[in-house]
Amino acid sequence: MVQAFVRAVWTICKKDLRVWLRQPSNVAITVLPALALLFVDALSAGAVGRSPVALVTLDQGPRGQQMAQVIHQADLFRVSDATPAQAQVLYNNLDVVAILTIPANFTQSVEAHAPIHIEVQINNLNTDFTNDIRRAVPDAITQFYQQRGGESPIKVTLQEQNLRSQDIQLFQYSAMPLLLLLLVVSGLVSSSLAAASEWETHTIKELLLSPASSGAIITGKVLTGFVTTFALGVLVLGVGDLLGWVQPVGVYWLEVLLILALVALFSAGLGVTLGALLERIQPVSSAAIVIALYLFFLTGGTAVLAFDPGWLQTVATFVPLYYGRHALEMAIFYQSSDQLGRDSTVLAGSALLAVGLGILAMRRGMADAR
Amino acid sequence: MHTLSSSLRVIWACLKKDLKSTSSEPLFTLVSIILPLNVLLLMGLLVISGGLAPTAVVMQDSGPLAQQFYAAMKEAHSFVLQPATTQQANALIEQGRIVAVVTIPADFDTRMRQHQSVAVEVKINNLNTDFTNDIRRALPLSITSFYAKAEPSMVTITPQEIDAYPQDLGYIPYLAVPILVIGLMVGGMVQAGTAAAVEWERETVKELLLSPASLVAIVLGKMLAAFLIGLAGAVVVLVVLIALMGIWPVHWGELIGFTLLVLVLFTAWGTLLGTWLQRRTPVATLAIGLCVPLFFLSGPFGPISFFAPLEQLVARVFPVYYAIVVLQHAFHGFTLNTSGIGINLLILAAYTLGGLILATMVLRRSTVAH
Repeated sequence: MVQAFVRAVWTICKKDLRVWLRQPSNVAITVLPALALLFVDALSAGAVGRSPVALVTLDQGPRGQQMAQVIHQADLFRVSDATPAQAQVLYNNLDVVAILTIPANFTQSVEAHAPIHIEVQINNLNTDFTNDIRRAVPDAITQFYQQRGGESPIKVTLQEQNLRSQDIQLFQYSAMPLLLLLLVVSGLVSSSLAAASEWETHTIKELLLSPASSGAIITGKVLTGFVTTFALGVLVLGVGDLLGWVQPVGVYWLEVLLILALVALFSAGLGVTLGALLERIQPVSSAAIVIALYLFFLTGGTAVLAFDPGWLQTVATFVPLYYGRHALEMAIFYQSSDQLGRDSTVLAGSALLAVGLGILAMRRGMADAR
Repeated sequence: MHTLSSSLRVIWACLKKDLKSTSSEPLFTLVSIILPLNVLLLMGLLVISGGLAPTAVVMQDSGPLAQQFYAAMKEAHSFVLQPATTQQANALIEQGRIVAVVTIPADFDTRMRQHQSVAVEVKINNLNTDFTNDIRRALPLSITSFYAKAEPSMVTITPQEIDAYPQDLGYIPYLAVPILVIGLMVGGMVQAGTAAAVEWERETVKELLLSPASLVAIVLGKMLAAFLIGLAGAVVVLVVLIALMGIWPVHWGELIGFTLLVLVLFTAWGTLLGTWLQRRTPVATLAIGLCVPLFFLSGPFGPISFFAPLEQLVARVFPVYYAIVVLQHAFHGFTLNTSGIGINLLILAAYTLGGLILATMVLRRSTVAH
């Protein structure tokens, strides 16, 4: 009895795997969105947060030169030194966001404690770039004063206390949710297509007429989705580790693999549900990818969820990926198992629920086909 | 030799046939029409935060200078502030509801009056460098703004801003335009691509290829039908953007003309994709799945010249970039590159023609292969 069940599951799994591998375009579409996003991340990683500016230093005195040096070294801008005319050309050609001008009387005014302006000519076409400059110039001014030590007139100092042991580079931070996106797209698309194609190609009849139990058919379908998704996840994680993007350490590899497995199972279960409910490839493929993207963005996408409005943060707590993301962040970035119990329980519960829904949907579809 | 009148008849026949086919699948048609709106909602989740950091401020001192410091933070274009007690603030940051806690010490006013140094404690949820650096830079801005008002004689160096535009445009109105372009892309490509691919799936392409009709006329007829359905989706998105979100275009004529051109472009490329892949599933999944990476690759956040050279190069490969340039001009009057609107339009027209020619060529090749 058990042997027959296992054999049926294995046969269906093998069949679905072969079908999956014979459709390279389906494999490609499951990995392309996440890989393309990784490419985008890698491309933009270098320049994030540092806007291009032209720096015009009209003062040759010590304070003017010091200010120019601060602007160069502060890691706030990508600076091009220029004459006023050159700066205007760069600005007009949209090569720089702003022109910073240190006036000719800068040294004289600073030493005389007289008010003096650093002129900031900004192309303020959107608040994103404009606010970056608005924040960066005062930061440079503060750094300039800080170099004066005890003589600095700025008495308000900042005592920074970081919640986490280290800052994570933006690229690494974004790579991890993209791994989740890959798992969800792959699980949802491959499982839903595998399930729906049985109805669309009418092979569901053969399956139902075979001696295999409906439980074995459904388990085989979910298992295929799980195996392909998990394998893809492990492959990308391995490549990410080799490239230094996401590098779990020691025992945390196990934690990461556990979370990947649970997310893969959740996605595969959800995919089978979708495929069995819609029973047609065309709507299933579009719906699967739209659902995957919604699940991804509802948990913050590649950004930081804490920046989003409160209602969205509340919605995110109902999305299982939120817990997967938290567990992966803890394990990969901070070598921590903080709230692993909560995260893995929610993920396991969601995976079981998704598989349960898949079983119900398949059973209903099979009953209709009979 | 195909005469003009026979070609027009073929175009009209293909258009009628595709519209009739579409009307036989009302659910899929409805989904296609609301697909661009769906993209708007999905991508809206990306930009909803507005880039402002939710921050709790613990006011241990309620003196006038402490209040001025709070006001300076409020005006720093960087925070969404909420006053809190120490316990409340710690709970919020631990729960990931806020990203920073700023504590203004009890002796702030006293020490400021005595020109003694004051340490403002800043607890940061330093998840990734991009967001964390925004907070780190916003605090010096608050400090310099505070001194400029409270003690103008102390900190004499201040930035003097000269803006290119009379007022800043918010994050969401700016990014609504690239999102519109992506919506037009997905709507046009999915509709045109599936309409082309279905001819192979249903094997009706044989009849088309064996008919004496001109291939260009067939492609044009199919494109026109997809364009009309895509247009309904475009109207829905524009109504939401203009009437509901209040993003009023500066140049109405440009908006209508450029939207039509962009939709024709993506309809042509969708037809090419459908003719090439010959299956609806990969067409729809690719068009939807790649919308997010293409959004990021095409310079949605500002003029592409502000970004790294490789990013500029990649963005210029995709027509999405040029579509964003012309529609930002239509909506907000912005100039995002120095080529001029005419050149950008010519490039878009060339892409459209290229899509049409390539689709016809692929169709011609499939004639030989069939």
